[in-house]
Amino acid sequence: SVKHLFGLQFLRLKMTTLTRQDLNFGQVVADILCEFLEVAIHLILYVREVYPSGIFQKRKKYNVPVQMSCHPELNQYIHDTLHCVKPLIEKNDAEKVVVVIMDKEHHPVERFVFEISQPPLLSISSDTLLSHVEQLLRAVILKISVCDAVLENNPPGCTFTVLVHTREAATRNMEKVQVIKDFPWIVADEQEVHMQEPRLIPLKTMTSDIVKMQLYVEERAQKAS
Amino acid sequence: MVPPQCVYFRMLYHYLDQKRKEGSARLHATYLVSGKFVENGTTSHKVSVVREDQLEDAKSKMSLTVSVHVYSVQKAVLKDSGPLYSADYDAVKENLRNCSRYSAIRCADAVPRSSAEVQQACETTQAPPPETEQIKANHSNLASKPTSKQPKGIMGMFANKNVSKNQDSSKEIKLEQKEVTPVVETSKTKPAPKTNPVTNFFAKQAAKKPDKSIKEEVEIAQTSSSVDEKPTSPPPKAETPVKEELAKDAVVEKDTSKTKRLEHSDSEEEKNESRRKKRRRIKKPEPDSSDDEVIPDSPPQLQEKRDPSPSPEIQVKKEPVAVSHSDELSDCKRRKRRRVLKSRTFVDDEGCIVTEKDYESESYSETEDDFKFSQPTPKNPNPPKPSTGKKEEEKKSKKAAAASNKSTKQASIMGFFQKK
Repeated sequence: SVKHLFGLQFLRLKMTTLTRQDLNFGQVVADILCEFLEVAIHLILYVREVYPSGIFQKRKKYNVPVQMSCHPELNQYIHDTLHCVKPLIEKNDAEKVVVVIMDKEHHPVERFVFEISQPPLLSISSDTLLSHVEQLLRAVILKISVCDAVLENNPPGCTFTVLVHTREAATRNMEKVQVIKDFPWIVADEQEVHMQEPRLIPLKTMTSDIVKMQLYVEERAQKAS
Repeated sequence: MVPPQCVYFRMLYHYLDQKRKEGSARLHATYLVSGKFVENGTTSHKVSVVREDQLEDAKSKMSLTVSVHVYSVQKAVLKDSGPLYSADYDAVKENLRNCSRYSAIRCADAVPRSSAEVQQACETTQAPPPETEQIKANHSNLASKPTSKQPKGIMGMFANKNVSKNQDSSKEIKLEQKEVTPVVETSKTKPAPKTNPVTNFFAKQAAKKPDKSIKEEVEIAQTSSSVDEKPTSPPPKAETPVKEELAKDAVVEKDTSKTKRLEHSDSEEEKNESRRKKRRRIKKPEPDSSDDEVIPDSPPQLQEKRDPSPSPEIQVKKEPVAVSHSDELSDCKRRKRRRVLKSRTFVDDEGCIVTEKDYESESYSETEDDFKFSQPTPKNPNPPKPSTGKKEEEKKSKKAAAASNKSTKQASIMGFFQKK
């Protein structure tokens, strides 16, 4: 289940308080991004039929309908994953968050790559900023929901995993510190990271004052193995 | 005489047909089906958006199919209706107050019925009012001319704005527009009242399709056999009732907080005690008054007054009565109330979810744990003990003192002294 269902409007309120109190603005951006990634991952699983559509339920995010899973273990996995990713995003250590869809042999067939970059000096000026961000995120969500148009169908029996590409040596710290108990991060296998002859399909780019994000898909040329 | 919007339906259909014959692109369409629908003996006019594969099914369920036309064309198979709504969300939002501005249906003779006429119509007609009456339109046309009724929403298909956003996405609007513009030239030769909406629409080059979207929302809400089950309520309609409620609550709260501030300056202890109870949601936490207070278990009358009720106004009235009661029963040792820092999540008047921490009165029995008062009350048998008590109590009293200093300055500062 989605633990915080705060709309971005909440963060607007939170932010004005934060600037007065001088708290970490990176946290706000990380919150926004992790909320978004949670919705996006659920939506990808729905649209790409990684799981049967029966486990999904229509929910509202950014004032538009989105499909989110009701399966508790799946939700917990996604939530825990993003919980671990959040500190990386806060420090701007996360370069890419990748949702990899793999076939039965654990070879990736599709990789949804979210490239994230935050400007070094973050500043918030007005309320309209966040509603603009909401609008941009809505557009990305919309694009994910119709990405079927540009992608080939996946073979049956696919699984998924989430990879994080970090800048520099952030991974070393991650291995040492378990953010969530019994939920360790491990260095990804080469075969999960790289794909044979990928086709690059750009989906959406969003640029805002607080974050820039690019979403594209790397697709294996021949999916059926 | 054919209404101009028929032209667009035909264009869309023509486009779809052509592309399919060419075989160049795999296109999927959704259709808008409207007609008479009989359910449990009641006849209603049903409008629904269905996927192509469900089209025949939907048509067969209707006793009389009034209109079928292509609603949207997209490359992707739509698994659910979400994208249809999301695609023009921003356009709808901008035109919320002007929904019928770009409506294609105009009829000078059609005026909204007076309530008397409506009542009369309800009495005379057997059938229940059509479901689409939710949409503000010239509904008087509906009952009398079902065959000529065309959903207004199709105008929205040709939104310019979404072209830039969804280049290769759900609705192939761009292409349609190019094809439609030559038709506009020819349509200008038609009688003036009919072309006005058409030329206006294209002249303005505006990209608003509010009617369609509202229709869309209604349709999506009404679809039974089509894509999904859960209706999405129109966001403006949902938001405004919530906001109204919240605004009301906020106003009520603000009033009471003002009265409380006035009372606070008096700094009478009895008033402090009872005032604490009233406050459910405060902008300025006031834990300055005594932590505990003796209240009796019985009588229930007093208990009721002590319990925080959702309407602070009622509590304001009860305050003087409660004060007098406390005098009588204060020397009994019973359940006490203490102020506890609690975190509350609520939706404020802007529709933002806010988590606030403040002190709330909590009832607990004396034997449960030690407690202390920060301010003595003359009738209280337990004088304050600042040096004793648990760590939490100490912390609380310190914070109470700190808060009392700062409560006049900033509202939410207390929240930052606590770890989450």
